[in-house]
Amino acid sequence: MNASGTLGYSNEIESLWKIETLGAYVTKGLSLQPHHGNPTPRIWDERHGMINSIGLQNMGLDRFFSEHFPFFRKKKTPIIINFFGFTEEEYMAFAAKVKPDRLIVALEMNLSCPNIKAGGISFGKDPQMVFEIVKKVKAVTQIPLIAKLTPEVKNIVDIGRAAFEAGADGLTLINTMPAAIVEMKKKRVAIKGGLSGPVLKPIALRAVHECSKAVPIPIIGVGGIMNADDVISFILAGASAVQIGSATFVDPYTIPKAILGIGVYLDKNGYGGIQEITGITHE
Amino acid sequence: MDDFEAKIIENRNIVSNYFLMELKLSKPMGMIRPGQFIMLKVRDGDIFLRRPFSIYDFSKGTITIVYRVVGKGTLTLSEAGKNEKTLVLGPLGNGFSITKRDAYIVITGGIGVAGVHLLIKSLKNKACVFYGCSSKEELRVIDDIARFNPAVATLDGSEGFKGDVVTLFRKQKKALEGKNVEVFTCGPESMIKSVRKEIENIKTPCQVLVEERMACGLGLCFGCAVKTIDEKEPYKRACKEGPVFDLWQISL
Repeated sequence: MNASGTLGYSNEIESLWKIETLGAYVTKGLSLQPHHGNPTPRIWDERHGMINSIGLQNMGLDRFFSEHFPFFRKKKTPIIINFFGFTEEEYMAFAAKVKPDRLIVALEMNLSCPNIKAGGISFGKDPQMVFEIVKKVKAVTQIPLIAKLTPEVKNIVDIGRAAFEAGADGLTLINTMPAAIVEMKKKRVAIKGGLSGPVLKPIALRAVHECSKAVPIPIIGVGGIMNADDVISFILAGASAVQIGSATFVDPYTIPKAILGIGVYLDKNGYGGIQEITGITHE
Repeated sequence: MDDFEAKIIENRNIVSNYFLMELKLSKPMGMIRPGQFIMLKVRDGDIFLRRPFSIYDFSKGTITIVYRVVGKGTLTLSEAGKNEKTLVLGPLGNGFSITKRDAYIVITGGIGVAGVHLLIKSLKNKACVFYGCSSKEELRVIDDIARFNPAVATLDGSEGFKGDVVTLFRKQKKALEGKNVEVFTCGPESMIKSVRKEIENIKTPCQVLVEERMACGLGLCFGCAVKTIDEKEPYKRACKEGPVFDLWQISL
């Protein structure tokens, strides 16, 4: 699947490849109310990755459902709805509003947002806060719930465990890493935002490896995947599925190419499916 | 639209930090409209994302861009040699739309000409072109459109009008009063702001080609935001809803 926010709202990629290619489509981060997002610059190249500061721009849940959901219905492509909020109530109200539908295979909670009622600390940084919000959201929805975790924490295993104990059905590891760019010539900070791309891959691999040993729920690996070999590495580390994000900007065919490459790897090595190699690095 | 394998057949320095690159594509790109752009892969190494460039010109199976070295991406690009292989995603975005008018005014400056060159060519002699740059030397960037007799302004006065291009336009705009004209512009934001001021009271129709940092070029990431007057959804994507916008719809 794609990583949230890297494949438009719905059909943008269709001039190059069919959306049905994906195992599931992950929506752009959605919220109850629309968000305008940040002024530019929103993007910066960073040698082995990039920084983005889109500011969670989105049209809101209602418009997404009226304007874009019919596309997935027509295509019969399963979707995962990524969402965020700034209070527990916003997360709960969002989750409660999404009606179960066989096409909506999961809700993916972005836990990197600041909790404005707790002094602005990210929900995802504190195990207790993660436990509480996951438990509350889980209580208001029948749809499987995935917690997407920030890597900017003391111990991601503690966070993953808290999400699991609160009832999360899966984890997505990891979100972008907070980062900044300094422009030497202009003597200023050019951008602050989330770092993604290959620079993040080893950090994500470690998070996937450790959390998959600690919790018995499926893990979606994401961070710096550029090709099928990277996908296989994440599966070996313990991921049951992966998401591809920034790589699509470098080569818009990355996802279909990786899918083909995974098949070639499995065939060549005599495996019947990725489940046979998920987490085999644990021994 | 597709991602084409391409080979650099020319990459020459026009003058100062302006370059022209011609690329031979593995197959013809198909229909290209003035104002559309490509996402060009820059040699691997220090550069992660592709870079957006207006399609300056094309022929069957080739694409030409004109660019100015402004940062690491364009610097690396300027060092690329003949026969080097790369990738070209395009044609992207919405180009200019041309409707029947009494006159077409093109106001551009510096590297902005790269965005309107195809437009000027397709309007042939019907375009009234205003070009501004810093000095006579830099005018070599528009050698290719000299046959359309552009009115030129140089900041140092070494050729044409001494001053900025919008002031030059102001001196001649009286002749357009009462006519059904449309303005097309591409260039530095300060120039676009002046153009806007110049035609504000008469609200002349005006299409502006904007430049913005981009990651995907396909409308996937919402990185290339352009602020508009749409209160419901102010930020539009330069790559998808643009890069050509109605000047009166964007907020500068």
